[in-house]
Amino acid sequence: MATASADHILIVDDDPDICTLVSRFFEKNGFRVSVVPDGKGLWNMLDQASVDLIVLDLMLPDEDGLVLCRNLRATSDLPVIILSARGEDVDRIIGLEMGADDYLPKPFHPRELLARVRSVLRRTRSTMQPEKTARTHNSNEENIAYHFAGWRLDVPTRQLYTPQEEKVFLSGSEFALLRIFLNYPNQVLTREQLLEYSASKESETYDRTIDMQVSRLRRRLREDSRTPELIKTVRGLGYVLSARVEKVGDHT
Amino acid sequence: MAGEPHKVQVQIDRDLEEIIPSYLDNRRKDVLQLTDLLTKNDFAAMKVLGHRMKGTGAGYGLDAISQIGIALEQAAISQDSAALAPLIQELALYLEQLDIVYL
Repeated sequence: MATASADHILIVDDDPDICTLVSRFFEKNGFRVSVVPDGKGLWNMLDQASVDLIVLDLMLPDEDGLVLCRNLRATSDLPVIILSARGEDVDRIIGLEMGADDYLPKPFHPRELLARVRSVLRRTRSTMQPEKTARTHNSNEENIAYHFAGWRLDVPTRQLYTPQEEKVFLSGSEFALLRIFLNYPNQVLTREQLLEYSASKESETYDRTIDMQVSRLRRRLREDSRTPELIKTVRGLGYVLSARVEKVGDHT
Repeated sequence: MAGEPHKVQVQIDRDLEEIIPSYLDNRRKDVLQLTDLLTKNDFAAMKVLGHRMKGTGAGYGLDAISQIGIALEQAAISQDSAALAPLIQELALYLEQLDIVYL
C-alpha cells in the first residue's frame, strides 16, 4: 500500500489498458501513481505535484513523446523511462539520445518495468546523495569544484560552466558520468568500469547506453564528435578524459 | 470429453486477477470494432488497435494477444484485407477458448 512518502510515479500514456496495468502493479508495490494521457496533462501535473519519475509513451495524441522527453531534459533532471511499442534499435537509441534514463519496449512485463524504475531511482539517488549530504551537513568534502581545460564543474550545485562562464545544463546521469571521468583523468575507463562506477551495475543497462551517455556528454562539452579533444574513444577498450583536472576545495 | 469445446489454458499472476476481466472485455469490443473497420477498409484505425494489443497483451500475461496485435498492425500497414479477416477470427476464437488459471 502506498504512503504519502512513497515515490510518486507519473505514467504518460493514452492507452487505458496500459495505465490500469501499470498503476495497479506499482500501487501494489508501494508507489504512488498518477496517470495522464498526453503532453498537456504531463506539464499540468508537473506544475501541481512533486514527481519522482516519469514513465513516458512515445505515441501520444498531442505531442511526440521524444519531443516531450527532450523538453523535459532541458528543464529538469527528473528521471524518465520510455515505454513504447516503437521498439526498434533506432527508436531506443534516439530515446536515450533525447535524455531518457532507460527504454523498455512494449510488450513488456510489469515486473521488468518495476525493476527498471527501482534501478533508475537508485541510480539517480546515488548521484544526488553527495549533494544532499553536502547541503545537510555542510560537508567540506563535497564542497568542491573540478577545473579542467578551462571548464568548471561545481559539485554542490551540480552546475557545469564553460570557459566563458556560461552555464550548461547536465542531467543526473551526465553529471554522474562527468564526475567519474574527472575522478580518473587520463586513465582509460572501460564501459564495464563506467557502468560500475555509475552505480548502474544492477540495472539492465547495456554497453550501448554508456556510448549514448558519452555521446550526450560530449555535446554538453561542445565537442566535435568526430574529433573529440576531451573525452576520447580508445578503440576496443573504452574512453579516457584527456585533461589536467584540479580539485578545488573552496570555490566560493 | 467428446463435444467439449477446446480450451487454451493460460497461467496469470494473481495480482492481475481484478483487472483481467475488463481487459478481456475491451478485446471483445476490439473484435467487433475490427470487424466493422474491415468492412470500411479503415486500415489506419485497425493499425492503432493492433498496435495497442501488441503493447498490452504480454503485460497482462496474454502473449498470444501481443502476437495477434503484431500481425494485425503489420497487415493493416500493408492494407492486406485478406490477412486481416483471419486474424480477427483468430482473436475472437482465442478469447472464446481462453481458460485462465491465476497463480
